[in-house]
Amino acid sequence: MEKKYWQSIEETRADFKPEAEEKETSMMEVLANEANDKSSSRRDFLKWCGISFFSATVISACENPVKKAIPYLHQPETLTPGKASWYASSLVDGNQFCSVLVKSRDGRPIKIEGNDLCKFTGGGTNAITQASVLSLYDDGARYKYPTKNGEKINWEAADREIKKALQEAGEKGKKCYLVTPTLLSSSATELITFLKAKYPALEFVSWDTVSYEAIRQAHNQTFNIPAIPDYHFDKAELIVSFSADFLATWLAPVSFANRYAKTRKLSDTKKTMSQHIHFEAGMSVTGSNADERIAVKPSTELEIIMELYNEMASLTGNPVFSSPATDFDTKTLAREILSKKGKAIIVCGHNNEEAQILINAINHMAESYGNTLDNAQPLNFGLDSKEAMDKMIENMEGGNTELVMFYKTNPLYNHPKADKIKEAMANVPISVSFATAKDETAKECTYILPDNHYLESWGEAMPKLGTYTLMQPVMQPIFNTRQFQSSLLAWMDMDTDYHAYIKTFAERTLFPKQNEYSDFQQFWLNTLQAGVFVTDETLNFNINLSQVAISDAIARLKNKTSTAGDIQFMTHQNVAVADGAYANNPWLQELPDPVTKITWDNFAAISPKFADENRLKDGDIISINGLEIPVAAQPGQAYGCISIALGYGREYAGKVGDHTGVNAFRLLNDKAFPWNVQSWEKTGSGYEFARSQTHHSMEGRHIVRESTLDKYKENSKAGNEIRDYHLKHMVTLYPGHKYEGHHWALMVDLNACTGCSTCVIACQAENNTPVVGKDEVRRRRIMHWMRIDRYYTGDAENPGVVYQPLMCQHCDNAPCENVCPVSATNHSHEGINQMAYNRCVGTKYCINNCPYKVRRFNWFQYAKNDKFDYHMNSDLGRMILNPDVTVRERGVVEKCSFCIQRIQEGKLKAKNERRKLKDGDITPACAGSCPSNALVFGDLNDPDSRVAKLVKDPRNYHLLEELHTLPTVGYLTKIRNKKG
Amino acid sequence: MPAFLLSMMAMIAIISLSSFNEAQEIPDADTLDIEEVILDTDPESALMEEETPEEAITDTDIAFTRGEYTSRQIRLGERLFSGLVPFSSGQHDCASCHYLQPQQDVNWNPAAYEMAVLWNQNPDYSIMNIMNNPVSVRLMEDHAGMTITHEEQHLLEAWYTKILEQGPGDLEAYPIRAFIFWGLGALMLLALVDLIITRKIKFKGIHILVLLVGIAVHGQFAMAEAQSLGRTKGYAPDQPIKFSHLIHAGENDIDCRYCHYIADYSLSAGIPSNNVCMNCHNVVRSGTLSGSFEINKIHSAAETGEPIEWIRVHNLPDHSFFSHAQHVNAGKQECSDCHGEVETMHIVQQVEDLSMGWCLTCHRDENVDFLDNPYFGIYEKLHEKIRNGEIDAVTAADLGGEDCMSCHY
Repeated sequence: MEKKYWQSIEETRADFKPEAEEKETSMMEVLANEANDKSSSRRDFLKWCGISFFSATVISACENPVKKAIPYLHQPETLTPGKASWYASSLVDGNQFCSVLVKSRDGRPIKIEGNDLCKFTGGGTNAITQASVLSLYDDGARYKYPTKNGEKINWEAADREIKKALQEAGEKGKKCYLVTPTLLSSSATELITFLKAKYPALEFVSWDTVSYEAIRQAHNQTFNIPAIPDYHFDKAELIVSFSADFLATWLAPVSFANRYAKTRKLSDTKKTMSQHIHFEAGMSVTGSNADERIAVKPSTELEIIMELYNEMASLTGNPVFSSPATDFDTKTLAREILSKKGKAIIVCGHNNEEAQILINAINHMAESYGNTLDNAQPLNFGLDSKEAMDKMIENMEGGNTELVMFYKTNPLYNHPKADKIKEAMANVPISVSFATAKDETAKECTYILPDNHYLESWGEAMPKLGTYTLMQPVMQPIFNTRQFQSSLLAWMDMDTDYHAYIKTFAERTLFPKQNEYSDFQQFWLNTLQAGVFVTDETLNFNINLSQVAISDAIARLKNKTSTAGDIQFMTHQNVAVADGAYANNPWLQELPDPVTKITWDNFAAISPKFADENRLKDGDIISINGLEIPVAAQPGQAYGCISIALGYGREYAGKVGDHTGVNAFRLLNDKAFPWNVQSWEKTGSGYEFARSQTHHSMEGRHIVRESTLDKYKENSKAGNEIRDYHLKHMVTLYPGHKYEGHHWALMVDLNACTGCSTCVIACQAENNTPVVGKDEVRRRRIMHWMRIDRYYTGDAENPGVVYQPLMCQHCDNAPCENVCPVSATNHSHEGINQMAYNRCVGTKYCINNCPYKVRRFNWFQYAKNDKFDYHMNSDLGRMILNPDVTVRERGVVEKCSFCIQRIQEGKLKAKNERRKLKDGDITPACAGSCPSNALVFGDLNDPDSRVAKLVKDPRNYHLLEELHTLPTVGYLTKIRNKKG
Repeated sequence: MPAFLLSMMAMIAIISLSSFNEAQEIPDADTLDIEEVILDTDPESALMEEETPEEAITDTDIAFTRGEYTSRQIRLGERLFSGLVPFSSGQHDCASCHYLQPQQDVNWNPAAYEMAVLWNQNPDYSIMNIMNNPVSVRLMEDHAGMTITHEEQHLLEAWYTKILEQGPGDLEAYPIRAFIFWGLGALMLLALVDLIITRKIKFKGIHILVLLVGIAVHGQFAMAEAQSLGRTKGYAPDQPIKFSHLIHAGENDIDCRYCHYIADYSLSAGIPSNNVCMNCHNVVRSGTLSGSFEINKIHSAAETGEPIEWIRVHNLPDHSFFSHAQHVNAGKQECSDCHGEVETMHIVQQVEDLSMGWCLTCHRDENVDFLDNPYFGIYEKLHEKIRNGEIDAVTAADLGGEDCMSCHY
């Protein structure tokens, strides 16, 4: 009898049935099933292949379509078909601010870049700014005309009725309210003042979803000036942050990231960097960049602030107050801060007045004011008032309100008392929303008077005293919308042309503040072109600390923390959807969370220890204070604290944002200690996250090379020693490439990269990368050409985090090139690994052979396909597409091209101007968008270029050097400023 | 082998379909009702018959109202236009100068359809006025001695309504050599039949020769057709305005870049906008060939705000990016290098096939302005080679002009 082999113990049992009899699912079938849920045989497949080939040939044999070329009747002087124009403008949305340049092709804005002339932002952007242009073309969600009770109405009729209501409210003795977020625009504030003068019944309420009011109030308490100083991280040698995510979301992240990076960059001539100590509960972008990160619950964090104050006070001879003791060694920290007097900066992200008062006192003792804290030209953010909002809700409930208007606010979604407001609105006869696009509040309003998108608007903003930026429209309003300010003008029976208004405003207020131009028209045009105007006006900020405020604050804070429970939660904004205003933007929804790499969802981050103890695994849905949300074990999460991102779970945002994630605003409350988890339980159901990175280990390879400042000072090659070994053992059979002209290269400074993911969106916007949706991300088919890999090192409870931006490495010995059967990918004369889509037949051999996994396969046709209902399936949504980049078809491989279209454009410009190409003439989208200038692009053959110098830096290394792929993308080692 | 058969089948299908399309292009012959013509032996009497009830009205000069036309009037209008019924003034028919629909070949006189459109748009448009009291010199010369009556105008207007219904007609497909293809095919079939069944011709060499030549020619056709898929060499579509490059660029010697001025610095050469035309045609109101009829279209576009929808002649294949600025400004190429002698064309025709092979030939053969443009200073080694006399000049291919991503991205 034949001998029988078995593979497992089970096979030896008598009742064993081989599994092989079960039907196997082939790849083809999986694909077929996905397409139409019908299984088909190989014969059918071949049949269809034949038929489709035949019919395709027949169809293509038909007459070529007649294409038309329709010129302008009167071509605008500034517009050249086929050539981009650039306009300076500003993104202003509540506390969101960025000075930008808008690229407009053939009359339609397609890309946003930072404005280099704005010293405040430093020429960077963030993900929201990059993606803001897509919202302009959101035809599914944008309001297209004014409505009353859902029915179309004309502007004149609406104006008449609202004016009447405003007038009558005064006569009836009732109130009218206008709710706005923080207004950075002085002209808009002025208009509101005029409107109030005309209609005395009108009250103005400023309310922010994520508020910075406490910082302003704390300064009022301690220094008697309600101001928020400007934080100069670039001047700091020691940065101590308490939950302030200043690199991603807190106050002015673009400016702060730019300044922070300046102190973090190292070179042979600058071997010093700041030290960053970070206290927080959840792993934030800023926390993950810290040299030392202390994961603590919010209550402990507040206690540490009190203790730190006391330690510093006792060291400086100031009054000490009793406070709860903590485990943290605040004495050493206090000494460190005091040893860096005038060079330290202490920030706190909690909107908690008492904590902010103590932070002010600490900064005062550290002599930060006037040094690292700019109090002469303070920030203009956080002008909101919670008190006014609460009073308004009370008044609405009492039925004493005739009219309520909402501008850029959506309290029915993101106010903790949303349900109460909704009920109260029933008592208000007339409600008005100026929403640009669908939102929960507008849905309940009587009138919707849609505001223009910011790229269709005039405006002006003052993010900081002495820094003014202008906003100018890049296109005519697409729909029948009207700018908010024009509505106000209409109600004052004034000319509704806000352009004219803002011009006279500038003539009245800005023009006298300068003496460069004597003619206003000249001043106006030059300022409009630059987008920014700076004056040297200062605020008289007297730093006399009020001790009363401090003793009071400690006493109150102690009371608050004493009610803290064992398990707490913390809410935060993420880099993508912020407070939910951008929830309907598919680019932002698909942007992986910088730390967890989860897309399309928010989640409850719990510490791995907490997960183990409670047998929770990723995706298990738990209920926290009645809110059901899936959990994700997050290394570095403080034990006993659950972190949840705000801005998800919109109910009326549009097809993309609706019911994506969970609305965590429901957790917010007015309690003394608001972050207690009263109850939590497992619901028993589960959920599958869509993560863009599912493997978190470097598998022992030197993918991210890291060292400490001390070691770096001794040896510039610290952490990068292995490079010498690899260089010594390089052997090759290939002759190598000769680059006679340019040799393009990109250098990534891992010390400057904060992982903020702006570049990911910039790349997507520039290169027409499709959005694939949650389900496809789960299948690992995300299309981003550029991703940011995140690795953890060390202890799982508080690991070190490193970010590594990864795009095509443009290897000189590219493994993808020699496996392509049709030579669709090959090497250019300028060192670029090229990809010819029209040659690609989709074997995916290159994807398999790429060690960096940067190539993407188009599994489907994403454009003009209603199954991918994001933006590329509507005529308006496709307006965003960059005409200089092919929209890829199904079945081809694509990847980073170093923004070849920009290289071609830059080279052509130099040729036509008959000059040499200068370093910096060509910037790929990723490098251009980076707020911290972590990416540098240039020509290696130009000895004066920045990359040619950086490539010689001892910190430079290439990814997987041992494979001898010879990438042209280089990385500079990550150096942390910590002991050891 | 099956693959070869499949491709052959496909090619046959392509060609048969293209020729089928062409067959459809033939103008509809049904517009003329032959039977009616034969029945109405005496055209005069037919006209009289029509006139009888309305004679009085014609004489008292009361205008025929627009919009009320019988099918008979339409038919008569058509006959007047085409000359089957003579005009009362004895002048020759309209069709000897005016086409019915815009055509591929040059006829500077407006087609009936275009006139009908104008008549339809403008309630004051009167054929009689134009014929009997012409204002422009050109109209006076061409219509000298011609007059029409109110009644004839009414009939022609009736015919206009029919023309408007019929539309401007389709644009002609690209010409193909279907006759040779099908002729040879039939010959091959005959040869095969004779070779196997009928065996009339004894000398087998003839069959084999026919078959071999047939296969070769068909193969060449298949190759050529496959290669020219999506290519439109020779394409010269009729444009909405009979704009003659010969008159403008040739006789009047206007520089290409006077109108296509963005070619110097943009990807596109730019179709001139209406206001560029108006630079001259504000003053030049009447042309040598087409009088004021075509030029009026520019003016009416400016008045109505409806842009002129030109037909694009040069269409580059998909997935390729071409910059005029690169070639015209940096590369110092003449417009005629790619577009041919446009100044000799009444209707612009695509001269080159715009294929990748054609692009690359130029990239390989043409020299670049290498020594004079400081941009190329970075190519030190090539400069050295020139100094050493190793090479004389540098082509685009030497500088990466053959890289895929020079054009495809």
